[in-house]
Amino acid sequence: MVSVSCIAAIVDFLDKKLSSRTKINKKMKFIDETKSVQNPINHGPTLVIHGGAGVMIRKNYPLKEKREYLKALEESLIAGYKILLDGGSSIDAVEAAVRIMEDCPLFNAGKGSVFSISGKNELEASIMIGTPLHPAGANTLLRTVKNPITLAKTILLDPECRHVFLGGSEAEKYAKDKGLEIVDPGYFWTEKRWRQHMEGLERQKLTSDSPNSLLLKDEFDASPKGTVGAVAVDKYGIIASATSTGTEGPLYRFSLCSSAHYGGLNNKKDGRIGDTPLIGCGTWADNETCGVSGTGDGEFFIRFGIVQDVAARVKYLGENVADAAINAVEEMRKVGGEGGVIAVDKYGNVAMPYNSLGMYRGYIRVSDGIPHTFIFNDE
Amino acid sequence: MSESKGNKGPVNHGPTLIIHGGAGNLRRELFELEQEYREALKNSLFAGHQILKNGGSSLDAVVEAVCVMEDSPLFNAGKGSVFTLGGKNELEASIMIGTPDHQAGAATLLYTVKNPIKLAKEILLDPQVPHVFLGAQWAEEYAKEKGLELVDPKYFWTERRWKQHMDGLEQRELQPQNIIATTKTSAAESNILSDKEVGSMGTVGAVAVDKDGIIAVATSTGGMNNKKDGRIGDTPMLAAGTWADNETCGVSGTGYGECFIRYAIVHDVAARVKYLGENISDAAEQVVKENKKVGGLAGVIVLDKYGNVAMSKNCDLMFRGYIRVSDERWISPVRSGPSPKDL
Repeated sequence: MVSVSCIAAIVDFLDKKLSSRTKINKKMKFIDETKSVQNPINHGPTLVIHGGAGVMIRKNYPLKEKREYLKALEESLIAGYKILLDGGSSIDAVEAAVRIMEDCPLFNAGKGSVFSISGKNELEASIMIGTPLHPAGANTLLRTVKNPITLAKTILLDPECRHVFLGGSEAEKYAKDKGLEIVDPGYFWTEKRWRQHMEGLERQKLTSDSPNSLLLKDEFDASPKGTVGAVAVDKYGIIASATSTGTEGPLYRFSLCSSAHYGGLNNKKDGRIGDTPLIGCGTWADNETCGVSGTGDGEFFIRFGIVQDVAARVKYLGENVADAAINAVEEMRKVGGEGGVIAVDKYGNVAMPYNSLGMYRGYIRVSDGIPHTFIFNDE
Repeated sequence: MSESKGNKGPVNHGPTLIIHGGAGNLRRELFELEQEYREALKNSLFAGHQILKNGGSSLDAVVEAVCVMEDSPLFNAGKGSVFTLGGKNELEASIMIGTPDHQAGAATLLYTVKNPIKLAKEILLDPQVPHVFLGAQWAEEYAKEKGLELVDPKYFWTERRWKQHMDGLEQRELQPQNIIATTKTSAAESNILSDKEVGSMGTVGAVAVDKDGIIAVATSTGGMNNKKDGRIGDTPMLAAGTWADNETCGVSGTGYGECFIRYAIVHDVAARVKYLGENISDAAEQVVKENKKVGGLAGVIVLDKYGNVAMSKNCDLMFRGYIRVSDERWISPVRSGPSPKDL
């Protein structure tokens, strides 16, 4: 075990290294990380989840909302934990955890997804296992599949389907053939998201003449760029990762030329495919390195292959999963991308770094069964 | 196999273009068409070369090179694309540039866009579109808005590919689905892809570096013969089929798409260059070799900002070639391996 004074020393060292503008939660990255592969401590079956990264500032967060989110995160953790506790597989655990968040209207996945510019919900998801053949399943442009993550898992496991990635009406047809629950598109609607959609359209009209004008962002932002995700390692040492989302919400961007952080709403076009269903960009699993799930500015995850980059750093630089994840998220921040990742290695070491002001996240281990959930930067 | 060893030294070959027209295992039919393929590859190289020679951007060069192959009925991209199980042509493409912001554009599930690579380029360049990846009818609507040429889906039909489609259907009836499909669960069975499917993996791609040292990569395809309708492959996926980064390399892949996705092959090549300091040839060879062990079929073309090129494959054949502005000879080995009489 790493001693407390050792942790303090490491925090100190990294404080000097990282710039003061870095929003990475310094405490979180040291959740039971082990520095080297000599005598790595095996924490056993572990599940880590996220419910989206974004602009969350504690002082403006109503207590009731905070409790609701923490409760939902806990519920998601327990669902996955139960499976791992019974000796179940990591793929079933991550699916169960993600399903809870898809069914919960609070998160931007499944029910409660944000709307596209034309007022539609378009869902997507992917799932992957870290065994040598890297089985994976993914889907996108879905309108009527109640649980996109279950569809992704079905694609992965189906011996008659040799593909990884299905999209559009054909993917929905396949879901129906496989007996998955199909719903009316109206199922995903929630009043909160509809209101945000309408407000977004209003704001867009106001800023269309001066897209670079500084806008005051909502300080209470319950609509994170909220992909949800889960990564787990089971008792066999097999890692699985799962990520699921509705389309992306309001986009806040760093300008590359200056450090001006301006709020602006861009057309979230219908038909847009994000990083979530893209293996290598939003979801990754490899037993020998790590499993990773990302959330945030989807386009950055795509353009920089963020989650595979975390694994590549572990594989080629020998970084531990925590450092690899932190560095990848920091690299993304430098190029103007906001977001975070969750990662787990086969020893159950966990990392949850992000460069936004907050990220819904949590983890649980079978060894002690205690769910740990967080939202803000100062926990 | 590679034509020149990449190195980080001062030798700068200047603007260079490298292309591929698909990888696969040998079939008799391909020998019969060898001359046509060589001619088409040459035209593609010269089209891109013209742009680079006149000081144009690598982005425009790769688009021109890929358009020639999309318009040619020989390649599995644009006209001459393979068919889905349902008898449709479903096209996809992606494009990326290696500048620090890694701008990119991609589109999939297209039925009426004559040149998918042009659509990908529009998405990349359009400041009104902050997205990278568009799909299905919305992508086609966007193409229409942008004034790109739309065609009747029948435009893509060719007799050769239709025949492959029908032959493939026949073979499926004779062979149970699950033998073909267990690629996910068993390395031993993963090589049992029907010959009709393996041979027709002709994604096309191009990688170029221009006089400003900017790398661009473009990849385009009709997918896999008798793929499930709605299947999205590696071609429109960054990290899987297309990757560009000025500091490491540009990579375009062709082969068994699902493998490219599951191993993020092109990103892995660049990661080896970045983190292991490998030159592009070694990085490409290693990735492709490792891929074979897990039952994949892959070919990649790679180029760095000095104009070093590498082309690696783990199958019999990859249509490929490269050309430099500094030297107008075009190099296009088509294949290595057994000669026609051995087939």
